[in-house]
Amino acid sequence: MKRLMTAAAIAALVAAPAMAGDIKVGSVAGVTGPIAELVAPIVAGRNLAAEDVNAQGGLLNGDRMVLMLADSQCDPKAGVDAGQKVVNVEQVVAVIGASCSGATNGMVQSVTIPAGIMSISDSATAPSVTDLADNDLVFRTAPSDAYQGAALAKLAWDAGFKALAVTYSNDDYNAGIAGVFAASFEGMGGKVTANQVHEPNKASYRSEIQTLSGGGAEGLALFAYYGGSGITIIRNSLETGAFGKFMAADGMFDVSVIEQIGAENLVGNLMITQSASDPENTSYQIFAKAFEKTGMDPAAPYASHGYDATFLVALAIEKAGAADRSKLSAALREVANAPGEIIRPGEWAKAKALIAAGKDINYEGASGAVDFDANGDVAGFYSVNRPGDDGKYVMEFLR
Amino acid sequence: MEQYYGYFIYALSLLTMGGIYSVLALGLNVQWGFTGLFNAGIAGFFAVGAYTQALLTTPIYRDHLGGYNWPIPLAMLAAMVLSAVVAYAVAKICIRLRSDYLAIATIGIAEIVRLIFKNEIWATNGPRGVSQIPKAFEGLPQPWNTLAFLGMVLTIVALIYLALERARTAPWGRVMTAIRENETAAAAAGKNIEGFRLESFVIGSALMGLGGALMAQYLKQIDPNVSDPLTATFLVFVMLIVGGSANNRGAVLGAMLMWTVWSSTEILTSRLPDEFAIRSAYVRVFLIGLILQFILQKRPQGILPETRPKPNPRHRGDNSPVKNSGRTTE
Repeated sequence: MKRLMTAAAIAALVAAPAMAGDIKVGSVAGVTGPIAELVAPIVAGRNLAAEDVNAQGGLLNGDRMVLMLADSQCDPKAGVDAGQKVVNVEQVVAVIGASCSGATNGMVQSVTIPAGIMSISDSATAPSVTDLADNDLVFRTAPSDAYQGAALAKLAWDAGFKALAVTYSNDDYNAGIAGVFAASFEGMGGKVTANQVHEPNKASYRSEIQTLSGGGAEGLALFAYYGGSGITIIRNSLETGAFGKFMAADGMFDVSVIEQIGAENLVGNLMITQSASDPENTSYQIFAKAFEKTGMDPAAPYASHGYDATFLVALAIEKAGAADRSKLSAALREVANAPGEIIRPGEWAKAKALIAAGKDINYEGASGAVDFDANGDVAGFYSVNRPGDDGKYVMEFLR
Repeated sequence: MEQYYGYFIYALSLLTMGGIYSVLALGLNVQWGFTGLFNAGIAGFFAVGAYTQALLTTPIYRDHLGGYNWPIPLAMLAAMVLSAVVAYAVAKICIRLRSDYLAIATIGIAEIVRLIFKNEIWATNGPRGVSQIPKAFEGLPQPWNTLAFLGMVLTIVALIYLALERARTAPWGRVMTAIRENETAAAAAGKNIEGFRLESFVIGSALMGLGGALMAQYLKQIDPNVSDPLTATFLVFVMLIVGGSANNRGAVLGAMLMWTVWSSTEILTSRLPDEFAIRSAYVRVFLIGLILQFILQKRPQGILPETRPKPNPRHRGDNSPVKNSGRTTE
């Protein structure tokens, strides 16, 4: 393999300067499958980053950055298969994705790590991604769930809650956050009176709520998707009088929660954390403005993370000076982390000039500072959102 | 050069997945092809095998059972045995059900199995699944590890094929055909219908468990999404029916062919502009359905139709030898 890699590198070096061409980067996402509707804005975020790069001089010697889309279906089988295609058939230099943690774990362990290819996921949040033996090849711009659960627990504790009931929808995302939340809350001295899983998409959750309501809980920590079970659980809780105060993570962040339950019932009673970009952060504002022009919502979950992952791959290629698979992960750390001149979304021409001049750069992304730690993870940034009298959320960025 | 090397590695991955699906399709062939048992719960037995393999071999981890450090071949055997045990328990209850009722019962069982794996979080890490599953030969350098794993999968497929060919041409296989074609007549001939159906169901399910064990190794990560009915039950049926039900070679051919179609069509569609590329992901699923329709309309027996075993002249008494056109005795 080493020899082949060397041969490949030589071939790339010989071929690359000859003419400006395409540099392919894999874009693996759960286009079909259970989270299809969440994936569309993420893919749009990735595409916007590639457009920015190509509009401002492209990679290296004017090469175009081409994203090769492959469907990971949120399933490890499809994730591995998608990885095989982009890595071997398309010969990409790096991979962005996959979308779900399971598909990502499968793809990186079976395909990209053995092949020595760097991958950056923009939406895999499972803590297990951190623990992989990855030769420093697996990165993610999405924060591990561990952070959001802890952030919400601290928020609840600071708000004066001492005993809470916990329920979560039976999917990998909500189960993960709920687990961390319960552990963190108990670690601060709080009491979890009940911790129960529920299946989404049921017509009524009255029996679940009855089980949860004993034990003197002061509120309900609800980890669910608003459309799946979240709204129904809040409605049933209010109807039965079992719970009046709720806290939730970003699966519940949608204005339809206020519309369907009514602001009068929720003002002062609901707080929702969301993986957020600091709205006062210049990087986010630049991204939001450009993303809105494409007709997409910049607040869509992980869209800004998708943009950052793609932009970082481009910066790493530029920094490495060649579309060389083996050099990218070291280059990525140099361009993403301090020290260096700050580069923001859309500032490709500036970054390219600085790299050409041999200066250090530090990308400050739309989703946050994106400084990778030793495991290739980023710190999480969150906002807390509370319903206001006008039926909209009042957002407060947690610093 | 590197491009051709890439094609080569991709071809290996197609063959590996095709091989794993061949194991599943051969297992289904015993049940559906030979005996006519409509097992619509392939995903369930597949999941039992996959989780057995994963939990017995994976190193100790904070979120699920593990640390038993079983050797890989032994775990594969355990996966087969456990799937067979589950199948036996299921068959004891349901095997008397006629075909469509058995289908309903097995769909339910597959769903129960999936929900158990999804909900028993202490054991399986629930929806997050099991990661870092050891894979046979993964210590070898690339591409030898891929080749060695493929070699193992194809050897297993070949062994199963030979064993099932032997079974098909043996009296056992002929009883199965008789049960499939006319259960009452077979019973009248003194055959223990229920016993034979149970054997067929258990053997087929054990093979599905083995398929699951191979898949767990190949992916190195399993979660409840792996036993999604679309790709773990429906696709296997399509493979068997397209290749040729009751024909072991057809089962292998169908698995290889359909997986290649399923996987490689994306190489073409990913070259479309983005909005079409996203839509075309759904078109692929439609395409599989279309192929199934076409095959069912034009070649209801599949690409390789069933061939009945040649009668052995030594056991034929004084009858004149039958011309072996391959489909002689009906």
